[in-house]
Amino acid sequence: MIAVDRFNGGSKTMTLAGAVGIVGLVLTAVGFFTAPQPTMFSYLFGFTYWLGISVAAIIMVAIFHTAKAKWITILRRTMETMGSSVFVFALLVIPLLLGAKYIFPWVNHGTDWVFPGTDGVKFTEVELHHLHHKSPYLNLPFLYVRQAIYFAVWIFVSWRLRTWSMEQDTTGALELTVKQRRFSPGSLPFLALTITFAGFDWLMTLTPLWQSTIFGVYYFAGSFLAAFCVLTIATVNAQGKDEYGTLVTTAHYHNLGKLLLAFTAFWAYIAFSQFLLIWVANIPEEAGWFKLRIEGAWKPLSISLFVMGFAVPFFTLLSRNLKLKPRLLAVVAVYLLIMHAVDLYWLIWPAYSPQGPSFHWTLITSFIGVGGLAVAAAMWQARGRYTLPVKDPYISESLRYVQP
Amino acid sequence: MSNQHTSTLRVPLVSEERTLGQLTEEICAPMERKPSRMWWVAFALAVVTLAVGVGMVTYEVSTGIGVWGLNKTIGWAFDITNFVFWVGIGHAGTLISAILFLFRQKWRTSINRAAEAMTLFAVMCAAIFPVIHMGRPWNAFWVLPYPNDRGSLWVNFRSPLLWDVFAISTYFTISAVFWYFGLIPDLATVRDRVKGGLKKAVFKVLSFGWTGSSRTWHRYETVYLLLAGLATPLVLSVHTIVSFDFATSVIPGWHTTIFPPYFVAGAVFSGFAMVLTLMIITRVVLGFEHLITIRHLENMTKVIIVTGGIVSLAYGTEFFIAWYSGNPYEKFTFMNRAFGPYAWAYWTMVTCNVVSPHLFWFKKVRTSPAAIFVLSLVINVGMWFERFVIIVTSLHRDFLPSSWSMYTPTVVEVGTFVGTFGLFFTLFLLFTRVLPIISIGEVKSVAAFARGSHAPGHASHPAHGSETPHEHPAEAPEPLPTPALAAAVVRKDMPV
Repeated sequence: MIAVDRFNGGSKTMTLAGAVGIVGLVLTAVGFFTAPQPTMFSYLFGFTYWLGISVAAIIMVAIFHTAKAKWITILRRTMETMGSSVFVFALLVIPLLLGAKYIFPWVNHGTDWVFPGTDGVKFTEVELHHLHHKSPYLNLPFLYVRQAIYFAVWIFVSWRLRTWSMEQDTTGALELTVKQRRFSPGSLPFLALTITFAGFDWLMTLTPLWQSTIFGVYYFAGSFLAAFCVLTIATVNAQGKDEYGTLVTTAHYHNLGKLLLAFTAFWAYIAFSQFLLIWVANIPEEAGWFKLRIEGAWKPLSISLFVMGFAVPFFTLLSRNLKLKPRLLAVVAVYLLIMHAVDLYWLIWPAYSPQGPSFHWTLITSFIGVGGLAVAAAMWQARGRYTLPVKDPYISESLRYVQP
Repeated sequence: MSNQHTSTLRVPLVSEERTLGQLTEEICAPMERKPSRMWWVAFALAVVTLAVGVGMVTYEVSTGIGVWGLNKTIGWAFDITNFVFWVGIGHAGTLISAILFLFRQKWRTSINRAAEAMTLFAVMCAAIFPVIHMGRPWNAFWVLPYPNDRGSLWVNFRSPLLWDVFAISTYFTISAVFWYFGLIPDLATVRDRVKGGLKKAVFKVLSFGWTGSSRTWHRYETVYLLLAGLATPLVLSVHTIVSFDFATSVIPGWHTTIFPPYFVAGAVFSGFAMVLTLMIITRVVLGFEHLITIRHLENMTKVIIVTGGIVSLAYGTEFFIAWYSGNPYEKFTFMNRAFGPYAWAYWTMVTCNVVSPHLFWFKKVRTSPAAIFVLSLVINVGMWFERFVIIVTSLHRDFLPSSWSMYTPTVVEVGTFVGTFGLFFTLFLLFTRVLPIISIGEVKSVAAFARGSHAPGHASHPAHGSETPHEHPAEAPEPLPTPALAAAVVRKDMPV
């Protein structure tokens, strides 16, 4: 007999992750006082990486409730926990907002902005004129308001779904399932809008005179894939006492593998659509963003992103054998997480270093800093609770799931 | 496929108790009895409409495409609008048959056959438009790249129109193979039921000597899964390429990076609307209400809410970026869409595509076939207007105000479009007469007896109710007292 009780382990992981996070953030703060601009770009990299995963997990829970998916019930608590760490980011966004002038050229209508990596190049008169047109959207107060809206939506949806889910652990009330399934579809339009505009705000406006309608979808696609990777890794490693990993069947891993394959392809599809349409039309106001990345020093990275980010994992994940082996699948998931980091670096860093890929040590410290805190927050949320929704009406169906 | 544990909370997909034999009888009945008067009336109407279309196309081909309302500014209008409209309709078939199959959505079983057939017919209707727009359709084979004696004149591989040729011909081929492959077991069923004569001989050939042995079934299911996997990328690729027809250009309103996923979502949106239109009629006329239940209709309306939502998000994003870009041409195009001479078309589109699907949030609407039928027609109209708005409003006021113009379709264009509906319904009506329109073999796998020991008791439950446990508290599994016990109940090795 397998008994599952409330999860009380993980304190070591939590402490370690928290310590790493704090050390990372302190070092990043040190970096800020020595070299503010690269540090802020690095911080944006760490922030968007981990926040994307957290928000994608919230969207995932909402999607699975909407689809009334039953096989995934056993994995749902982990997704809820991943999403619950979003509150940490509501605090972590503050440095980003305070240091906005170091990364966003549009701050103060672009008049103060000096392009990094150049010898003092500033916006031309015409460019300033275009920027001025965007100022109703691109201004700091409105940016703050938008962040508040995004986080309000994310925290509320995540809290609402998770609280109902945990309440069911004790009461087992079937109404709670009904409530979650009613609430989720209604939340999806808001989640879609917020992630789209968050992608615009944090990543697209780094190049304020460039725009692409698909950009929000691109950020979502990468983050969604990364969230599945984290879910896979968490599941493979949840083998301890009271952890749900021991109850997961091969069929669950197979499905996770298939989802990784599908979203690797989806990310590539979105990336390719954006690239092809801008490259083929080749109009001056759009082409610059890609010209920077596909010519000169950034070219090798762009090519390797296509090969390593799409071709290699896609053909690897086609293997059925691999998807049935949890350890191997976790290795692929780690690999995909690294590729997602490369993807975000490729999105962000050329704005700081147009002359070519470069490295700043704060990239590492802010990545582990934000990540450490996010993981610690998730572990903190997981402790004292069940690692799977034990009284969900569909839990037995999920535990017995086999490939049809 | 039935060794899976199924919760008793699930509502059966076949809402009335039927034996295997009864299911076969029922599904084969329409093709074995004499056509009803209703069918003849509908068929006559469809053929007359088709004849109108044939007449119009004959006139157009013999006279030249000058009989259309196109002009120098608007060189692409009704024909391409109709082409995109029909290709979009075709998407639901592949989505239902391939993607829903991969997602193991068993409710697809009673609608996939008809939806796939609809796909094939819709793609045929779509293909007519580019071919007749060539002016000399007898040269249509020139679009195929092969070494030739026309001064070695090659197709332009850089043109998305050529990619369309490849995408759509691939799509049609795979859809046809997938559809036919799924038909084979049912063709054998029909073969075995026919007493003799020509019909028997035909079905004998068509069913490829199907024996129904478990080895045959095993291979069949493997191939079916592989075909589903191959067809899945096509759901995305076809409309992606169609969107490239516009988005690779530099025309404001056409060139925007969100076009590929947005067109795909729009295609699924319109395709499901068309499946609903057809299925609601079919289930009533043929008495299949227990096979194509309200639950099926409800699920399809939910897909419509999602895809409609994606389409609305894309409209919004496009509008926002048009302003945000600060590009005066882009801004003008969008303002011109909303407030220019074609504003009526734009607001028709918004009402039909953005507003009307939200009525499906209400359960009352989702479970009323009449309401769904009306809304499905509204969405079809809206999606036709979406293509019209994108195509005509972007072209009619271009960069040079002196070339601004208006476009009005001529009788010939309208007649051709109406004619394609004639073709579509003629083919669909013939399909209901000559082939089993529901997959007999697959429906049996979701019937009550395939659901294990508890199922028959529940099989008589009407599917009209909600499947939420809230409204069926009696069906709840025994509450799990303690988590430790919960784990005991969920042992994987004992059947419960």
